[in-house]
Amino acid sequence: MKTTTPAWLIVALREVETKLRDKAFIISTIGTLVVIIGSIVVSSFLGSRSTEFSVTATDESSYRVLTQVQNDKLEDVGLSIAKSTEQEAREQLTNGDLDAILSSNNGGQEFSLTGDDSVDDQLRRLVTDAVDSVLTEQMLSSAGLSIENLPSDDALTVTQLQGDADRNSMVKAMGFLFSFLFYMAALLFGMPIANSVIEEKQNRVVEILASTIRLRHLLTGKIVGNVILAMIQLLVFLSVGLFAAYLSPLEIPFLGVVSQVAGWFVVFFLGGFLVLAGIWAALGSLATRTEDLQQSSGPVVTVLIAVLFIGLYAKDGFLVVASYIPIASSVAMPIRLLSGDLALWEPILSLVILLATCWAVLLFAEKIYRRAVMHTGGALTLRKAMKLEV
Amino acid sequence: MLELQNVSRSFSERLVLDDVSFTVPGGALTGFVGANGAGKTTTMRIIMGLLAANSGKISLNGVELSSDTRPNFGYMPEERGLYPKQPVIDQLIYLGQLHGLSRSTARSRAMELLSRFGLESRFKAKLESLSLGNQQRVQVAASLLHEPDVLILDEPFSGLDPIAVDAMSSILRDYASRGVPVLFSSHQLDLLDVLVDHLVIIQDGKILANSSADDLRASQASRHRMSLGSDTGWLRSEPGVTVIDISGPDALVNFDSEATAQLVLSKAMERGTVNEFSIHRPSLADIYREIIR
Repeated sequence: MKTTTPAWLIVALREVETKLRDKAFIISTIGTLVVIIGSIVVSSFLGSRSTEFSVTATDESSYRVLTQVQNDKLEDVGLSIAKSTEQEAREQLTNGDLDAILSSNNGGQEFSLTGDDSVDDQLRRLVTDAVDSVLTEQMLSSAGLSIENLPSDDALTVTQLQGDADRNSMVKAMGFLFSFLFYMAALLFGMPIANSVIEEKQNRVVEILASTIRLRHLLTGKIVGNVILAMIQLLVFLSVGLFAAYLSPLEIPFLGVVSQVAGWFVVFFLGGFLVLAGIWAALGSLATRTEDLQQSSGPVVTVLIAVLFIGLYAKDGFLVVASYIPIASSVAMPIRLLSGDLALWEPILSLVILLATCWAVLLFAEKIYRRAVMHTGGALTLRKAMKLEV
Repeated sequence: MLELQNVSRSFSERLVLDDVSFTVPGGALTGFVGANGAGKTTTMRIIMGLLAANSGKISLNGVELSSDTRPNFGYMPEERGLYPKQPVIDQLIYLGQLHGLSRSTARSRAMELLSRFGLESRFKAKLESLSLGNQQRVQVAASLLHEPDVLILDEPFSGLDPIAVDAMSSILRDYASRGVPVLFSSHQLDLLDVLVDHLVIIQDGKILANSSADDLRASQASRHRMSLGSDTGWLRSEPGVTVIDISGPDALVNFDSEATAQLVLSKAMERGTVNEFSIHRPSLADIYREIIR
């Protein structure tokens, strides 16, 4: 019985199947997922944890200091205060009912904070600040001044013309994430395209394959198979990450814009990855043995590292230029989308450039592939490959 | 019938195939012989569409070949190649699917061929774990999976043990008897002699012979083998006799006519004992050596 399944699809499915049976691939995917979920769980756990202290004052001045501590707005610290005699307080402290005792001497000019075997750093800082302000206020009022007259932190307001600090740090974090995901996928799924081309050249299966189906279908199948894998992995990472962030009790700022840009990133990622896939396939067909790839892949890896650095450090004009250069744009444009409202034509123009490049690279890769893949006598240079006759 | 007409091909100025024309009749086994580098593999690659011809055309039953008709060819390349790390059955199924078979059909065809080669118990083994001879059998199976309309096999017998040679021969005969044109190259001339119905001889990119084995044999002037009781040197001076080989009492000769043959026989009997006087049919190996000389 004959079927009409297109040849490229059969090739693509074999690529997927082979990869899914590859233990290293499965382990690294699961490992990355664990890291993503773990980091979100840990950060929300740390973020929501609050500390409770109970401190007892042994005199009036100390009590005033503790009231001051309570008045200072504390986000994640709870403080219960009480007043009792030194004797009682010490008993409670030894029993572990109290975290510390605050007492004063020298007429409320000096204070001592006593813990059982240690005093919490955070508590000590809070009490130090409160002692400071209570003493200052006493000093000022004895001089007939009010604390309101003193210059305060409010005298300086910090603003920035573009975005805000929180947003910028979010952009930095996401920029890192996008760059890293792209870099990882480009190597993890790009290199296998080259390797599977070389494998078939090396084992001479390619002659049988080429006499059975068109080389264009073979190349397309390889690229499609690896793109499917890369996209599935990326989507799993992104959706698990966003879903975990959504579920976490911690309020994550900019979740909305991040999810939206994640959508753009998927599209740009696909385009950039296709360009790379074509390049990897061409490199694979130029090589004769796996070892040859080490040399010829150098420039591609350099480009990928450059893209990684653009994602991490590029700013302003440089970032704008990068956001229109294929491959770099896969990272740079999503970063620009994160940091502010861009006109819709900007990502679309960049995408058009990317897709046009994609098409050109795939056609070129096919040309190289068709010429070089049947060649067996040693590694080829690009120029030599173009001179080969079919 | 597969037909090549005036096919030429050169690789950077070097003419590898020079106006090659021959036919591979359906229902017959066609042997393709020539020295190393004579152009056999290039010809087969051009038939398979792996290389383009600079000129000339190839047709099957009068229809010129295109990439749409080639997939029904069964091909075994000179440089064998399959996936070493994949189980035998998996790669056969994959190749069968690429030829347009459904998964289940590919599987049952593969198992059928494997059992024909005595490999049915090894179907799950990785290819690299098989002996070279068995890998070769898998390779043959790969070229037959899709019941091809034409078989092009580059050195199908090289590296096979005698049992596998027999299995291979019977499979090729089987295909030929279904009317499939089968072209195979081989350096094993003695094997060709018993196997082929049609012979194509190529040398330096030129076709030197393209005809049925019987015609080729008949085209050779009949030879006589003589074994006498004494030295046969006197044959050299007999009129109408061409001496091909003489060693002491044995000789291989050509007579220009039957009358000459009878005359020489009677002379020989006058001279003494005649142990043998027989017509010697040349083998294809002899003819090949004769032609490429």
